[in-house]
Amino acid sequence: MEERIDFSRDNQIVRLWVLSTIVYGFAGLLYGLLVALQLVVPEMNLAPYFTFGRMRPIHTNGIIFGMIFSSIFATMYYSFPRLLKTPMWNHALSHAHFWLYQLTLVGAVISYHLGYSQSREYAELEWPLDVLVAIWWVILSINFFMTLVIRKEKHIYVAIWFFISTIVTIAMLYIVNNAFIPTGLFKSYSVYAGTTDANIQWWYGHNAVAFVLTTPILGMMYYYLPKHTKLPIFSHRISIVHFWSLIFVYIWAGPHHLLYSPVPDWAQTLGMTFSIILLAPSWGGMINGFLTLTQAKEKLRTDATLKFLLVAITFYGMSTFEGPMMSIRAVNQLSHDTDWVVGHVHSGALGWNAGMAFTALYYLVPRLWNARLHSEAWAETHFWLATVGLLLYVVTMWASGITEGLMWREIGDNGQLVNPNWITIVSQLTGLRWGRALGGLLFFSGFILMAVNLFITMSRKGEGFVETDLREGA
Amino acid sequence: MAHHDENLTWYEKWSHKIEEKGFTFTVLAFVAVAIGSLIEIVPFFTSDVVDEIELVKPYNAKELAGRDVYQAEGCFYCHTQMIRPFKWETDRFYGSAYSNEYQYSKAGEYVYDHPFLWGSKRIGPDLAHEAAANKSEQWQKDHLINPQKVVQDTIMPAYPHLYNEKNTVDVRQLKANMKGLRMLGVPYSDADIAAADELAGVTKGDALVAYLQKLGRDLKK
Ligand code: HEM
Ligand code: HEM
Repeated sequence: MEERIDFSRDNQIVRLWVLSTIVYGFAGLLYGLLVALQLVVPEMNLAPYFTFGRMRPIHTNGIIFGMIFSSIFATMYYSFPRLLKTPMWNHALSHAHFWLYQLTLVGAVISYHLGYSQSREYAELEWPLDVLVAIWWVILSINFFMTLVIRKEKHIYVAIWFFISTIVTIAMLYIVNNAFIPTGLFKSYSVYAGTTDANIQWWYGHNAVAFVLTTPILGMMYYYLPKHTKLPIFSHRISIVHFWSLIFVYIWAGPHHLLYSPVPDWAQTLGMTFSIILLAPSWGGMINGFLTLTQAKEKLRTDATLKFLLVAITFYGMSTFEGPMMSIRAVNQLSHDTDWVVGHVHSGALGWNAGMAFTALYYLVPRLWNARLHSEAWAETHFWLATVGLLLYVVTMWASGITEGLMWREIGDNGQLVNPNWITIVSQLTGLRWGRALGGLLFFSGFILMAVNLFITMSRKGEGFVETDLREGA
Repeated sequence: MAHHDENLTWYEKWSHKIEEKGFTFTVLAFVAVAIGSLIEIVPFFTSDVVDEIELVKPYNAKELAGRDVYQAEGCFYCHTQMIRPFKWETDRFYGSAYSNEYQYSKAGEYVYDHPFLWGSKRIGPDLAHEAAANKSEQWQKDHLINPQKVVQDTIMPAYPHLYNEKNTVDVRQLKANMKGLRMLGVPYSDADIAAADELAGVTKGDALVAYLQKLGRDLKK
């Protein structure tokens, strides 16, 4: 079936997104490592352009909107034509999307170093860049929905459901959250103020987690998992139920970022309640993935792509268990504003998101460059470096977060704070934060190994790639 | 999936239908996310979710200029500006300087904050009540230029460039900013905006310190 449709022009754009994933992955992880070091070696802050406050958004945006988004787009442009049995509707639009996106990302890096920022987490871009994002999002949407219209396959597969939801919801979030008035070429103010601004920003922020770091990643899972293992998804019933409940429930959960704040109690309680409910649809996806994967479990040993799928799905389950717990007021009392949150973020980010991005890269590069992966052994080493690095990161941040949370709140028999001096507490965390940096270094080293492995593979373009059928003997 | 064909559940039958209809599917996927959004956002505009506090005044020109510096430097990635209603927080963040009701953060304190700067990570201490710390301008300046000299073992970055004589407040931009905020409802008079002219030559560091000393000042006992 696939052979009869000409995918060559679509493949060209996917190759660009693959390269983009690697480039922003490199930059984003490097900045992550640098900001991790800045928190233990303050001399590494070089004002004005290279301080923690200006580099942290480059790390977060670079990874999320650079690396992870690129891997999502790579998968979208690869899977749409194959699942819908038609080339993308318009190749000029595919290219326009890619290049306008590049312009945005380069603009982001430069403008953050220069200190232009709306100062709202995950929505820091100043307004000209926001406008650019809106333009390429519209381009992507038109191209995608027109492809859906001209599709030759009547049935729309689960992966596409998640991509539809992603495209529609991000448009809504972005428009509502980016209501600003410009007061200069590089300066604007949010039209909302104070508690209203906080409520809307975290509605957006939390749903960036939902519709950038979760739904499209599930779309990727539903594409690569059955494609790679040649096994059907474990249960279509679970797919239906968890898809609809996931998107319905996620959108309510934002106020779990604002517990005990001046945002009205009814909003906080809704946020908390829906966050706890969210465990169920999240685990629905995790279980569906996991049970599909275990059907091929004897192949896990030989195949790095599958191993990263396993990491991704496991940490998806982990972070979506931890998140609802942290949404309970009594737990949030302790965890809010501490390194524990950072640990939670990175178990999702390094495990689930980066794990899925690696899966995509190992799957796509040999197929698109038509060459066998240079070294499975290197991929195996990458897997171990990533896993150990990730565990070190998460465990040190749990320890550090709980330590600081407890030290902040400790009150002695005399009714006074036991640790009134802030620096006493900060100094306690130094060792653990070094541990995190080491974890980051391991993770980053694994990434470099992967990049070299993939570049060598690309240089052998055309040598031939033979799909191994994982269902046959090991 | 095919193995259950004979006894499909109702939702499978329903799903089968819309799995073939791109438009319907998309509309439903939008409705699913629109419901929660409307319920959680609309009340913020239709009802009074904020009790205004008379005492809270807008930032003057210099303080606003300082706030812009705070934003540009990304201070909010390390310092929160939201004190929760716990003894261990109010004790730590100068609660004794406030009457009981204002020891922790209230919605009315933030009505002029476009955008809010509560932060989500407390690497350094909370600054919502920084004015009550009673630190001198000189202390703040020394601390910004070389934090380690003032607070041993701190991990805060040094910001010497803020006191570079040429790194001064951009008065034209500042006035545009104030006019913009006025459109959003911040009650600036023409005189308030004209006062920005006096800031020519004032360093960004001085503006930033003025902002820090405004934080929590209005409600202090
Ligand atoms: C080499 C690996 C990495 C290192 C060393 C690293 C390090 C850091 C550090 C030091 C921070 C600041 C924490 C703080 O403010 O206390 C941070 C924040 C963050 N990073 Fe990473 N990171 C890495 C990989 C990633 C990846 C792969 C992602 C996303 C897919 C990611 C997403 C984020 C996000 C969203 C935040 C903000 C968290 C928050 O506001 O609570 N990071 N990272
Ligand atoms: C059921 C799912 C989840 C729930 C209920 C949840 C809940 C939470 C909670 C309660 C916080 C801490 C808020 C605070 O006290 O400041 C948080 C922070 C965060 N979570 Fe999750 N989480 C979930 C899954 C995930 C996943 C899969 C990721 C993906 C990487 C993720 C990324 C983040 C990020 C980036 C933050 C930090 C935001 C910030 O402060 O900058 N979460 N989450």
